Amino acid sequence: MTVTQPVKAVVIVGGGTAGWLTAGIIAARHQARMKAGGFSITLIESPDIRIIGVGEGTWPTMRQSLERMGVSETALFRDCDAAFKQGGKFAGWTTGAADDAYYHPLMLPQGFAQLNLVPHWMRETHKHSFCDFVTPQGRLCDEGLAPKLITSPEYRGLANYAYHLDAAKFAPFLATHCTEKLGVRHVLGNVVQVNQRESGDIESVLTPEAGEISGDLFIDCSGFSALLIGKTLGVGFKECGDILFCDTALAAQVPYETPDAPMASQTISTAREAGWIWDICLPTRRGVGYVYSSRHSSEEAARETLQRYIGPQHRDLPPARKIPIRSGHRQTFWKNNCIAVGLAGGFLEPLESSAIVLVELSAKMIAEQMPANRQVMDIIAKRFNDVTMYRWGRIIDFLKLHYVLTRRTDTAFWRDNVDPASVPERLKELLELWKYHPPWFFDEFDRLEEVFPAASYQYVLYGMGFQSEISPEDTIDTGLLASRLRQENERQTFELRSRLPKNRELLNKIHEYGLQPV
Amino acid sequence: MTQIVPLNKETHRALRVDGRASAACGDNRRFVQVIVKEFPQLIVHYPILFSKDPQTGQFYCGAMLGFDEGENLFLEEWQERESYRPLILQRGPFYAHGPDLAIDLDDPRVGAEGGKPLFTEQGQPTRYLQSIIWAFQDLSPGVEMTKLFIARLLELKLIEPVDVEVEFDDGTMRRCVGLYTIDQEVLSRLPDEVVVELFRRGYLRLIDYMIASLKQVPVMARKKNSRLLKATEGLAGMRASAMG
Repeated sequence: MTVTQPVKAVVIVGGGTAGWLTAGIIAARHQARMKAGGFSITLIESPDIRIIGVGEGTWPTMRQSLERMGVSETALFRDCDAAFKQGGKFAGWTTGAADDAYYHPLMLPQGFAQLNLVPHWMRETHKHSFCDFVTPQGRLCDEGLAPKLITSPEYRGLANYAYHLDAAKFAPFLATHCTEKLGVRHVLGNVVQVNQRESGDIESVLTPEAGEISGDLFIDCSGFSALLIGKTLGVGFKECGDILFCDTALAAQVPYETPDAPMASQTISTAREAGWIWDICLPTRRGVGYVYSSRHSSEEAARETLQRYIGPQHRDLPPARKIPIRSGHRQTFWKNNCIAVGLAGGFLEPLESSAIVLVELSAKMIAEQMPANRQVMDIIAKRFNDVTMYRWGRIIDFLKLHYVLTRRTDTAFWRDNVDPASVPERLKELLELWKYHPPWFFDEFDRLEEVFPAASYQYVLYGMGFQSEISPEDTIDTGLLASRLRQENERQTFELRSRLPKNRELLNKIHEYGLQPV
Repeated sequence: MTQIVPLNKETHRALRVDGRASAACGDNRRFVQVIVKEFPQLIVHYPILFSKDPQTGQFYCGAMLGFDEGENLFLEEWQERESYRPLILQRGPFYAHGPDLAIDLDDPRVGAEGGKPLFTEQGQPTRYLQSIIWAFQDLSPGVEMTKLFIARLLELKLIEPVDVEVEFDDGTMRRCVGLYTIDQEVLSRLPDEVVVELFRRGYLRLIDYMIASLKQVPVMARKKNSRLLKATEGLAGMRASAMG
């Protein structure tokens, strides 16, 4: 007879963004059980290891995650130096010319569930960019407008938005909330030993500071060191540097010239000789960094590239911090009673802010499918691994899409990126399909929670001038609906432009007055 | 332009101020800020709701006066002094200046014909000025007390948005947005100790006033309806005479 072994104690190892976000999402979902004393979450944080602090961009999913955790959005803005993010602007990716830029906004195309506007846009004379044809958001970004009003409640916007935030402040902010409001136990200690059962399951971890901490389920948020999933359980790492070449980042923080300087509400990603430069606006500073391929550029050349981008101001700044990027992910994410979340699970260049959203999606799935006992854990683990593996694959495809559509031939980096040998099979197949079938709502995307919806593929494909062959008859039946959606888009654009305040102006007001919860 | 100076019984001895309600001086509005102390006087006429300051997003309490921009269905009654006019409008061109009063000399109501004197010949405040002084004795602390009331309601998640939607007999509809009221669902679930706390602070009564005052919406709608009908009848009459 087997004795059912209930899962009552969750132990998270690692106190960065991944650890605290995971703790918060699980705790918020299981408050009733925690209050009744039947379920506990313990987070062990090393007092000696510093937070990596990459990933200053989030996805709009963060709004829902934080709201469910009961976090005040006003507090997020004030305590984490947060700002609005309405999408990404990609400059120089297609041709590298001065006016080469497109948006990947966060709003879906108008009427996305009813009609695919791509064929209609293709048949027009291309007076508008695809983005402007289907959504107001690119124009809102052009004008530096915020996505909401001071009277909009917390987490509600007139335009969809995510956040730019200071990752070094975000983790302690979440820690305070998780420990004070959600009952997460916080232990400061260095894990020096991991005790396993005969089955391989982790039984406990030992810290000199807090003794032995045992648990039923362990979540490895220990970052690149992958203490449990890698070092203890020996799960291998699947590199993908042959697809995504960037392997090094140089990160800098650039102050504004004046405290009231305008702030962009989109991440600006500018293609350069051997990679791309991120540029994000927080209220107090910009975060700027060069992500490059060390096979295509020396560190010295990369530093010069970054300095040229920053301008003469770079002379007043400390040298940019060098961060190695090992692109890839674990071969398995849930093994035995241990799950890897965050950098312990893998990392990719931050081109589409996929790091934090993956943490959210993983934590949500763990929270929703928290195994009742050890006996059913392997079934859930299998599902989790399937979904997570699928997600990593899709993210890699989607990141590669940005490179594979380039027409740049000026450097080896860009030429090598279109080498078919570097393109995943699945993406090759999709590119072939999309020549005749523009991606849309239903096709191919089979998972409930895609990291990137079909709309994201549309924005990148048609932002970069991808051509799909559309037969003229295809658009006849839906012509009327398409023109209605076009009118709706123009009306919405007009209204939002006349109502929305400037990005910085609204952030100042949030700092002064706060946003209301309703 | 404004020219706000401290009120002085020597320099302003002969000054007259027209304190009556008038469309030209800001009484033609469909929503006006009020303080909690006014609730008992207000509920017999107006719906009391919350709205947000468009500049700061902060909640405030207000009385609804009409359905359309710039519409005050009570203006005539105010002019005849038949129904209660909120303090923030009663104060006219006066402002608080520390514990004293200040006045905007550029306000058209100051020195207007038909205005009332502020001081007697002996330099004593007239009944009119005295009423203004009393208004400010209520207003300044009243605004703070109202803020505290709102802050507590927000903490308890007792404020919810409400769409006031009214259909009139002429076939038109009005949908007033940006208004909030008490969430009665949340109210009914409050723990006992919180209910007692709200009662002791006098908030429970205010909450009840606000809920009861919603019944003024249909009353106001009837008022507006009869005006609309009069206007259409007038129009019909004009048509009839033109045809005749």
